[in-house]
Amino acid sequence: MGRSHIGEFEELVLLTVGVLYDDAYAVAITKAISEQSGRSVNVSAVHKSLYRLEEKGMLASRLGDPESKRGGKRKRLFAITPFGKQAIDQMMELRTHLRSQIPAMAFNWKTN
Amino acid sequence: MGGRPRIPRLPQYFFRWYCRRELYEELHGDLEEFFYERVEEKGLRRAQWMYWLDVIKCCQPYAWKDLESQNSEIIMLKNYLKTTYRSMRKRPLTSAINILGLSFAIAICLVPYAFVDQDLSIDQFHENKDNIFLATYHADRDGDVRYYGNSPTPLAEALAADYAQVVEACRVQDRQVVMKNGDRVFHEEVRYVDPSFLKMMTFPLKWGQPSALQDVNSIILSEDMAVKYFGETNPIGSNVTVIFDSNNTKTFAVAGVANELPKAHAISFDFLINFENYKISDPAYDLNDWTGLVDATLVQVKSPEDISVISESMEKYRILQNSVVEERPIAEFSFEQLTTLHERSRYINNDISFGSREEGWVILSVLGLFILILACFNYVNIAIVSASTRLKEIATRKVMGANRRGVITQFLAENMILTLMALVIGVLLGSQVVLPWFNELFSENLELRLLDPQLWLFFISMALFTGLVAGLYPALYIARFDVIGIFRGSVKFGRKNKLTKVLLCVQLVLACITIANAVYITQNNAFQLSRPWGYDPTNVLYVGVNDQPAYDQMRFAVAQNPNVLQVAGSSQHLGTDSKTVMLHLPDRQYEVSEIAVEANYFELLGIQLTEGRLFQENYESDDQKVVVNQLLVNRLEIEDPIGRTFKVDDIRYEVVGVVSDFHFDDFDSNMVPTVFKVAEPEDYRYLALKVREGTTHETHDFLQAQWLAIAPELPFRGGFQEDVFDGYYEYMASGSKFMRAVGFIGILLAGLGLYGLVTLNVSGRVKEFSIRKVLGARVSSVAAQISKQYAWLCVVSLIIGLPLSYYWCSLLLETFFVYHMPMNLSGAFIAMFILVSVLVGVLAIQVRKVAKSNPVNGLRAE
Repeated sequence: MGRSHIGEFEELVLLTVGVLYDDAYAVAITKAISEQSGRSVNVSAVHKSLYRLEEKGMLASRLGDPESKRGGKRKRLFAITPFGKQAIDQMMELRTHLRSQIPAMAFNWKTN
Repeated sequence: MGGRPRIPRLPQYFFRWYCRRELYEELHGDLEEFFYERVEEKGLRRAQWMYWLDVIKCCQPYAWKDLESQNSEIIMLKNYLKTTYRSMRKRPLTSAINILGLSFAIAICLVPYAFVDQDLSIDQFHENKDNIFLATYHADRDGDVRYYGNSPTPLAEALAADYAQVVEACRVQDRQVVMKNGDRVFHEEVRYVDPSFLKMMTFPLKWGQPSALQDVNSIILSEDMAVKYFGETNPIGSNVTVIFDSNNTKTFAVAGVANELPKAHAISFDFLINFENYKISDPAYDLNDWTGLVDATLVQVKSPEDISVISESMEKYRILQNSVVEERPIAEFSFEQLTTLHERSRYINNDISFGSREEGWVILSVLGLFILILACFNYVNIAIVSASTRLKEIATRKVMGANRRGVITQFLAENMILTLMALVIGVLLGSQVVLPWFNELFSENLELRLLDPQLWLFFISMALFTGLVAGLYPALYIARFDVIGIFRGSVKFGRKNKLTKVLLCVQLVLACITIANAVYITQNNAFQLSRPWGYDPTNVLYVGVNDQPAYDQMRFAVAQNPNVLQVAGSSQHLGTDSKTVMLHLPDRQYEVSEIAVEANYFELLGIQLTEGRLFQENYESDDQKVVVNQLLVNRLEIEDPIGRTFKVDDIRYEVVGVVSDFHFDDFDSNMVPTVFKVAEPEDYRYLALKVREGTTHETHDFLQAQWLAIAPELPFRGGFQEDVFDGYYEYMASGSKFMRAVGFIGILLAGLGLYGLVTLNVSGRVKEFSIRKVLGARVSSVAAQISKQYAWLCVVSLIIGLPLSYYWCSLLLETFFVYHMPMNLSGAFIAMFILVSVLVGVLAIQVRKVAKSNPVNGLRAE
């Protein structure tokens, strides 16, 4: 699992899976991302990221129970693995670290 | 769950087809959940539509089946590709005939596509095209209701003032002027328009603003004209001088240059100037005079429906107009929408657009289809016959478990691959060779807009059409074979298939028509070349002048030239200029063209007198006499024309002579009823000169030199009388060249098809022929054996084909030529001769091959 790099959208998906905890499946994730980020998201993009994250070992999945609102079909529920948590933490750390290094001058637009 | 909303079936099938089986449940579950939710929130329609989108968006690699390992069809498809490749390599000749034939056909079919596409997109680039209308009117002219595209001058202003729905109105008037920038002096046509013109018609400007037309001193140039007068530099702010006539000259500042127009346009311009300038160029012109006409009145309304309201209340203008102009009453005003103006323009007289060429659509499409069918049938025939050489392959496939569907799929797939190859070659050939050639021949500017989705739709439908037409029957036919029969060797398919014969017959008929087409058009071309003009244009030159002093100086100058045998003055001139006047007879009015001439004009141009007399030199009393042409006499149905009188502009004229008919314009235009009257010397605007044989070019140079001395600031306006047909003969020659090329391809395809068929047939009978030869058969009997079945096919095809060709060609000539050659049978017979000799040639090659082969080799084979 050398490739621990993940893209921006994948990061969103990963985080959302964590947020939704026990009910993290594609439809719910799609809606949550749309609501929270305000952008329009298609379920196919979420699918793609979910499978890729699972392949990378950051997510684990199991099948749920059949539901009538899904035409009697089961859904795949995702959960974050320890490796996934590590990836999130690293990412967050990197960001805060970088943010803290920005000198105050850089945000001072008034002079000149 | 009976009441559940239904998921649309088609996308669901598609989803199931591409989706990996183990993912189907969860993925489709998600889509279904979204679907049912959306039905609740947004209604069934929208939910279905969004489901469609979802299915398409989900069609990505993550959801796809793992093709290789899961799907036997893919494995089979690979195998089909391989067998296609092998069978192509095994018989390169027949494959080449198939693919190249189809490619040629597809390339040819691109021409009608591009042609029709261009016609349909003409003037469609104007953003307001739906709301712009051309004012038109119907008028009764001598019992004949005609449709006109020009309109009374004040109409535009009246419409703009009287109707709130009219957003813009614009007058358009064209005029011949002389344009001058330094030493670049040419005759040009300027278009006077109201400033609203560029607001309504969205011609994109390269430089400058459309509003520049508000300024009466501004001029807007087309890109070509900007280059002609100013080169490649930006001319904004430079000046050009417009010489309206010898008294009126005005300098304009260039305020705009148009972008190059889309190729599909009917309405365009070289120069645009503000309409107010019309008063300068013609001070007597009254813009409020209902008797005056402008070339066009364009109106833009708020929405297309408004125009019906306006056209219903046009009656008041009609009454106003007819009270002023009693002699040309208007029957009704109406409007033409810009979107369809080009299509309708062929029915409108004197309009600023030009008509679409529907005859061209039909003939090009029909010829394209002929060639396509020829090529397809080649394919079908060769596929049927060659199936016999692949019997073992098919039987083996069936034994190995291929079902009927499998075999059909194989052959259709093989077919589609070939068609796609042909499509690629054909498109390349069409866009790189055939279209440029066609454009050059007919000075068209057809183009394939490769980004146009419609074009791809056309490609795909053409590939499907050819693929299915050419492949379906062979596929079905081959799939029917009985396996055991094949292995036993008791099945002999393909040799004597009835369909093969029918198809070959149709091919020969089509080939016959295309050849006859070429022959007749070529013959007609020769006929047009030798057709008399009704007068003698050889060794005749003409010069146009602007006024009387120029005429006198020119006349004096040419009188000194020993090469000039005869000179005649005239106000109008055959082939360049005529005037339209109204003849008033006691019981009717008739529109004719008028040419005012000096007495010796007839003799100089060799116009033949048939009745009465011509004008007499220096004979005052001929002032109110006219000479008319035979056509006028025929049209008016006058028994005894000499001495008849009629009025033109309230002056009574008497007919003193009748001359034979002549072509004023080229043979594409109808001859016009004409009256000749005596021109006053101060009205002479043309000199016609008869010069000594072989000195025309010398004299032409002399005239140009003289002109430069007399009027250095004006461009020379003159030329050879023989040139007044202006490219007509070249155009005719191009037409026949094109038809010959199509005919050639037609016969080539038919010949190749026959060749392929005979080859396959002969190769399957090698043993038979060898035995015959060993037993002493002569070459002639072998030849008879081979040709027998084709001979009667040819006869049948010719019996059907010749009358069809004759009928088609007479229809063609009737539609395209105003004056065409009388139809005769010789063309059909020449076509027959060509066709038969090609067929005999094809058979002879095969017979020769068989005759020369050693029978021992033939018997040893297998």
